[in-house]
Amino acid sequence: MATDSGPGMTLRALKLNPALIALLLAIALFFIGGLIRPGFVNVNQAVNILRLASLLGIVAAGQTLVIISGGEGIDLSVGSVVTLGAIMAFRFSNGQNDLLILGLLAALSAGAAVGLINGLGIVYLRIPPLVMTLGMAGVVQGLVLVVTQGALQGGTPPALAGLISSNLLGIPGSVYIWLVLASFLWMTLERTPYGKQLFAIGVNREAARLSGVKVPWVVLVTYALSGLLAALGGFCLLGFTQRVFLSLGTPYLFPSIAAVVVGGTVLAGGKGSYWGTMAGALVLTLINSLLTAMQLSEAYQLMVLGITLVILISVYGRQRSVRQ
Amino acid sequence: MLEARNIVKHYGAVKALVDGHLSVAAGEVVALLGANGSGKSTLGKVVTGVVSPTSGELRINGKPVTFPSPYAARKAGVTAVYQELSLVPDMSVTENIFLGHELSRGGFQLQRETMRQEAERLLDLFRPTISATPDDLILDLSPSERQIIEILKALSQQPRLLILDEATASLDSQQVDRLFELVERWKLAGMAIIVVSHRMDELFRIAERAVVLRNGATVGSALMSETSEEDLVTMMIGEAVTPQRYASEGEAGELRLSVKGLRTDLLGGIDLELRDGELLGLGGLQGQGQEALLLALFGAIPFEGEMALQGKPVSFHHPKDAMEQGVAYVPGDRGNEGLVMIRSILENLQLPSWRRYGVPISQSKAREDALEVAQDLSLKMESLDAPVSSLSGGNAQKVVIGKWLLREPKLLLLNDPTKGVDVGSKGEFYTLLNELRQKGTAILFYSSDDEELLGLCDRVLVLNGGVVTAALEGKDLNRSSLVAASMGVSEEVPA
Amino acid sequence: MTWRRFLRQNPYLFALLLLIGLIAINASIQSNFFSLRAINGNFRVLLPLMILAVGQSLVIIGGGIDLSVGAMVSLVNAILVTLIVPESGAGGVVLALLVGCSAGMLAGAFNGLCVAYLRLQPIVTTYATSFIFSGLALLILPRPGGQLPRALTRFYRSTPLEIPLGVYVIIVLLLLWALVRSSRFGQYLFATGSNADAAYTSGIPTALVKFSTYVGAGLLSAFAAFALTLGIGSGNPRIGDAMTLDSIVAVVLGGTRLSGGQGGIAGTIIGVAILGIIRSLISFANVPTWYQTLVNATIIVLALAGPGLWRLIRGRV
Repeated sequence: MATDSGPGMTLRALKLNPALIALLLAIALFFIGGLIRPGFVNVNQAVNILRLASLLGIVAAGQTLVIISGGEGIDLSVGSVVTLGAIMAFRFSNGQNDLLILGLLAALSAGAAVGLINGLGIVYLRIPPLVMTLGMAGVVQGLVLVVTQGALQGGTPPALAGLISSNLLGIPGSVYIWLVLASFLWMTLERTPYGKQLFAIGVNREAARLSGVKVPWVVLVTYALSGLLAALGGFCLLGFTQRVFLSLGTPYLFPSIAAVVVGGTVLAGGKGSYWGTMAGALVLTLINSLLTAMQLSEAYQLMVLGITLVILISVYGRQRSVRQ
Repeated sequence: MLEARNIVKHYGAVKALVDGHLSVAAGEVVALLGANGSGKSTLGKVVTGVVSPTSGELRINGKPVTFPSPYAARKAGVTAVYQELSLVPDMSVTENIFLGHELSRGGFQLQRETMRQEAERLLDLFRPTISATPDDLILDLSPSERQIIEILKALSQQPRLLILDEATASLDSQQVDRLFELVERWKLAGMAIIVVSHRMDELFRIAERAVVLRNGATVGSALMSETSEEDLVTMMIGEAVTPQRYASEGEAGELRLSVKGLRTDLLGGIDLELRDGELLGLGGLQGQGQEALLLALFGAIPFEGEMALQGKPVSFHHPKDAMEQGVAYVPGDRGNEGLVMIRSILENLQLPSWRRYGVPISQSKAREDALEVAQDLSLKMESLDAPVSSLSGGNAQKVVIGKWLLREPKLLLLNDPTKGVDVGSKGEFYTLLNELRQKGTAILFYSSDDEELLGLCDRVLVLNGGVVTAALEGKDLNRSSLVAASMGVSEEVPA
Repeated sequence: MTWRRFLRQNPYLFALLLLIGLIAINASIQSNFFSLRAINGNFRVLLPLMILAVGQSLVIIGGGIDLSVGAMVSLVNAILVTLIVPESGAGGVVLALLVGCSAGMLAGAFNGLCVAYLRLQPIVTTYATSFIFSGLALLILPRPGGQLPRALTRFYRSTPLEIPLGVYVIIVLLLLWALVRSSRFGQYLFATGSNADAAYTSGIPTALVKFSTYVGAGLLSAFAAFALTLGIGSGNPRIGDAMTLDSIVAVVLGGTRLSGGQGGIAGTIIGVAILGIIRSLISFANVPTWYQTLVNATIIVLALAGPGLWRLIRGRV
């Protein structure tokens, strides 16, 4: 007998939803912060954390898509593309509000171009994503050096700075951008053929192909999107820091992967959501803030980050056993 | 020699075995039977140490034993030959035969020459039905040869109990004959043998006793000489099933598909014509190009030659092209080719068709259509959102076919679709095929099961070496002609 | 199909040809290329990466990958430079080397535990552990510094019997590898990398095999750190960072498949040599400083693209 008991399933699924668990974890961390450092828990701090999390969340959006696409998908060029995006926006908007859109377009096209190159190498040259994106990260860094040559002309448009940093109704502008992005991503993943095909190729590329999915095209679009979204992250980051430097985007690479994992997206592909990544971004930002608040040296921060990710993967990312 | 009692195996909430019993004596051949999901494979895996039982007892020659790994079972003399290959493709035949028990001096200095000679001796047992040599790489061998290497691998460990789990599935009839000759020899030498198979005729040839599982428990045991196919099937399903001939009568409609000179790596030049409402079978030994032909017609592999649908030439570069012209492909290898396992039934059913529901996708319409198809197929599922991996073999196959039925295909290509499907579901499948024929769908059907081909098809094209060597229909469509044509024995071929 | 099998058993042939070509180009530009001094110099610079890449090969052939090898080098480098001071005697040095080896093996064991026994995904896991090891390195050596006894650095520069020290090391590595290939462990290694399920069903302890490859990589990272530390005579907590990608590229260049089950270390060593010669050609060609990173990185990507391009071209022709 074929029946469809949709709503009943959803309730049960919620209980095991990793995104929800991550959200609860984030809230718990916030209050733990209050225990460790009195004064940590206040509205200002929460707003700040939201702002930082939104920036990470935007960068991690592309990473989410790439990991869902499977085939050992990962984008290690995200850090340097963030820097590239910020630099393109800085240079092409030249600090003027009326050139803001030009700056944005320059950033997005640069990011998409890098992503496209990644995709081409992965699809047509069969270079594993790990290696291709790691290699391109180096190329982009080199490109950034060539473009800046130590000193870069340009500026941050005040409108951008205002958009990102100042608050509307007490909530930072970047968070609104983040929410808009989140709805786009939800739509893309759950309500477009591309999204359905993305999940399918993440699980089984051959079965997807034999069901009419043009796998190379889906993979190409995914990596191009990843580059584009990373560049968007760089654009927003510029509004936050209002200056550019070589290692601007580097601190975002590792957390982008961690946020996706914490959010419950499976590393092998085929399963996940952007809500999870958003919650993951909150968790990662909180961990970072806690570490800074505890005034730990860089050495300890690195170690804690590493250990945390290993623990998170142990909980979420174990692969199947050969013996049962 | 070996006795298994009260074996229970739970995989989380799934109860694969609730009460498994099995015993086999030295020099005896026992057949292990059961429908899909009956637990027979699990019982086999428990006996060979691949899986650890939740509870139960295993005894060898009266002494209780436990097998924490396949290695432990092997040391006790229990070895299995599985359908899922345990061969390493990059390594040679010799290396694979000795994998895990290589000959060496103290762990270092592999004795490659000695192993090679032993591999040669083992290969000889199956010659001339195989042409592999000890240095051939596994990935260069055909599926039937790989299966034989699996058998040789098990043999090289001098087992006291050998378990053949669907080991004949990929073998051609000459190879099966040779295997059975060897089984007789091994029996006389005192080996105990358990054969797990769906092929009744083979079981009646070599087994002395049959043990039947149903729903995770052993429900009966009978001497082969005192029972019949019908009795065994009844024990397997729990109700009497009468075998039927499923072919339906009907008029063939207009010309749907015509192919001229189709050539690929494996195919030499195929011509065929198929009309609406016709069920054309592809027969012959495994690996003669049947799968390649189907994949080529679906646009999944490139080919040279001409293909036309309803008289208009077409050129498919990708399954999507074929799909849009009303062609559908149903693979027999569900897990790898037909289904996206962890995703929901809904997503699997609609995967080729999401574009029809707009952007943003109209979720309710998609669900409605999927539900309708699921009901038409009597799909037993928890809900459309359950993962497709939660379905049993027969139901999973319904999803594979369902996703194409949603598109109302004009040409249906089937690649051994009932492989590993239980008897009950097979019956439903045949009924479905006949319904589709009545509606005018043209069907091209490859099956490795001769009975199935004979029972369903109007016409059968037999492939050998990538070319059509016989076209059987009418009174020529019988078992002996089919087998003869498969072997390449030429008979009068009707024009 | 013997041509194919020949290529499969000797996957480094393409790399060897490329190397010979590059040597020819370099020799024609640099007149003293074949002098003992120049060759010794080249070996000194490339030896650490060669040893490291051999460790990476081990892991990759076994079906995994290790993104923390560079960080392990930094860690052991920090340890060595902290334990060895200009006044250290032979005993002190040996002790320091032992501690370094243990550190490498422990780090590798941690990786192995996570990937082989906890069955965590290798890429992200070793990426995470690289942060742990980098952090530890920074903890032990917050700022570049330290100094090694002159005797040690002189030893590293030496040429016993007119042959660079590096050559002896490479010969030892090749001999050890030959030993592995002719052992049961070698079969297990290749089987696990090619098809872990099949290997397990055949009774091979695949988890143990994988674990040992990570420990091996850790040990070889320690040796690589020795070579590096003796070469520069001081310490830098970030010194290993760039070596990880290089080690992977060298393995790919050498003809070893990233998915495992095939390949060898001869190709990897050739791969490192190729990378080294390309780099020296670039610096010789007077590329402006600002462009050097870009050119280096682009060459790496092109090198990675090589096998794929080759396959594409062969497919079309």
